[in-house]
Amino acid sequence: MARVIHPPKYHEMTAWKWMRYSGLLLIPLAWGHVLIQDVLVGVDRIDLDYVSVRWAYLGWRIYDFLLLVFALAHGVNGLRQVVLDFISKKNIRWVNRAAFAYWLIMMLLGAAALIGGVRQP
Amino acid sequence: MSVRAMTNLITYRGGVSQLSYVLHRVTGLGVLLFLTIHVVDTSTVFFFPSLYADAIAIYRSVPFMIGEIFLVFSVIYHGVNGARIAVFDLFLVNRWEGRTPDNSVIWTMAISILLWLPAAFIMGRNVLEKLGV
Repeated sequence: MARVIHPPKYHEMTAWKWMRYSGLLLIPLAWGHVLIQDVLVGVDRIDLDYVSVRWAYLGWRIYDFLLLVFALAHGVNGLRQVVLDFISKKNIRWVNRAAFAYWLIMMLLGAAALIGGVRQP
Repeated sequence: MSVRAMTNLITYRGGVSQLSYVLHRVTGLGVLLFLTIHVVDTSTVFFFPSLYADAIAIYRSVPFMIGEIFLVFSVIYHGVNGARIAVFDLFLVNRWEGRTPDNSVIWTMAISILLWLPAAFIMGRNVLEKLGV
């Protein structure tokens, strides 16, 4: 009879570590973004032209892409961790799938905007 | 949510450390909620450019501008507290027990408020300007 072996979940350990690495990286990325857009520029001065001028610089698109990648992965994994605290063991798989779907949809939306850029109406 | 999970929210360990744990989760979920809305509104520049102005108009309303001030606090607190957790987890694991974490919780809140106040002042002034005060 075959024995059932549960191997250690290395991917959870990887996720745990990357929550710390991405978190430390998000301090300059997210704080810089919030400081510039919310505090210094302000929402009253942001419009379609502002976005197209900003994204004319490849550097800002790369900055925004890094922010999207790290913030979304960090945020969705954080949400997954919170939800898993309230979920029974047999539903873990579904929580993981839902988190992945959430991440994928938001990632595609954000990446489409960043790569496609501003289309003039 | 089980009853046990709910009572644990109140009784587990307790003290300022547990308060920071709750605040870390609340601010994190709040920022993720905003990130989700923000990715959707920004994606309109590509999918429905004519709608972008309407999306931004919502952010320019007074309730959202006040919410934005709390959003900035959430981003700052989650970052400072996250750095505290990362530093303990990665470099000071044996210091998690004892008084050191409790002190660091107080320091984290103090640093967060100090960093937030100038931003809150500038953003608060914008709200007052909009209200014509």
